[in-house]
Amino acid sequence: MDKQVVSFNLNGEAVRVRCDPFSSLLSLLRDRLGLLGTKAGCGRGECGACTVLLDGLAVNACLVPAGKAEGLNVETIENLSRGGSLHPIQEAFVEKGAVQCGFCTPGMVMSAHALLKSDPAPGREEIRKAISGNLCRCSGYVQIEEAIAAAADKLKD
Amino acid sequence: MKYIIAKSLDGALAALQDTGTGRARVVAGATDLFLQEQPDRLIDISRLPELQEVTLEKGLLRVGAAVTHNAASASGLIWEKAAALAEASTLLGSPQIRNIGTLGGNVANAAPAADAAVALAALGAEAVLFDSPGRFYVKPFAGLYAGYNCSRVDSCREILAWFLIRPAGPGQGSAFLRFTARGALSLPLANAAARVTLEKGRLKEVSLVVAPAGPAPSRLKKTEALLLGSNLSGKTWSMAEESASAEVAVRGSALRCSVEYRRRLIGILAGRVLSLAAQRAQRNR
Repeated sequence: MDKQVVSFNLNGEAVRVRCDPFSSLLSLLRDRLGLLGTKAGCGRGECGACTVLLDGLAVNACLVPAGKAEGLNVETIENLSRGGSLHPIQEAFVEKGAVQCGFCTPGMVMSAHALLKSDPAPGREEIRKAISGNLCRCSGYVQIEEAIAAAADKLKD
Repeated sequence: MKYIIAKSLDGALAALQDTGTGRARVVAGATDLFLQEQPDRLIDISRLPELQEVTLEKGLLRVGAAVTHNAASASGLIWEKAAALAEASTLLGSPQIRNIGTLGGNVANAAPAADAAVALAALGAEAVLFDSPGRFYVKPFAGLYAGYNCSRVDSCREILAWFLIRPAGPGQGSAFLRFTARGALSLPLANAAARVTLEKGRLKEVSLVVAPAGPAPSRLKKTEALLLGSNLSGKTWSMAEESASAEVAVRGSALRCSVEYRRRLIGILAGRVLSLAAQRAQRNR
């Protein structure tokens, strides 16, 4: 397999990785860089468990070729908590009982993060739209919506 | 294997030619890449500024092939001049897909019911393709499809750069509708797009495209002709619904829906999308 050096900014730090540029960003993050917070779900862009931010926009890491990350900013769930403290979105998920099995949670949180960066005071419809690419098979959508609304309030303070 | 981020259109074309026939391929959003066979080289054109622009030039709306669906759905100019395209771009896939998937990819991937492609077909879009630096040609939308999931855009040899669309003027409007099993992350059971021109309260021009009904978005020309000169009454939309249902050649799907269901669904969507396009045309004075 031919390798190529891909340079990008990962969670605020410059990284250079020699990798198969046609492999997925998801595989690069999990298998090469050891960032296991981003979950591998369907592998075909249908579940949103692998959602990361690419230059601030939510994308399915399973559908992004590693080579496409060249020169871009990649943000994963690992970038949210600081020094052992949860991010306000994560706190809100805990407080509102928005986590059941937890597999969809990192992707949900990253979709919420992308939303709140662009729209600090979203309505319920905007919240639903923002997480419409994330599946939760435990059927916890109501709590997730409440958590994102609560996170917006926390971030305003 | 090499992944090349193109820095210029000419550079991308040169890279295609240098690599040799069929060994390099153009991608933009690349969201369908992992579902397909991979070549030796990928040339990513998604960062070319001129392919991300939406402009009005010489009386035509020029939309870059690397415009993402979310960019299209956020474009005031596209909403004003080609609402069907903005509407399709808003409804397609999921936020994650819309953030990275492009209009050009939606067309070049040649899925029969690709939402943006259906809208572009109804809008009468033409495609501008380059096959070497400085050499381009313009193709009508219907000429971009070779068969089911098979495009005439040869991404190993040419670059789809822009779509040219006649912008909506006074008395003109367009719309797009889809019906899906879920609100997101779902291929449409059927979709429809229309563009109409009104004159003295009657339909002067009608373009009606539905899918899936064959390998490419399908124009329903008999229904279009039937509606010319009609007023904007409920009777007209009922006539459109019946005619579209009768005219469309549909396939059933064991997974999605039967032929009968899809035929009826396409008729209903056709009536509604024409009515919506006409309402917009009435407001567009």
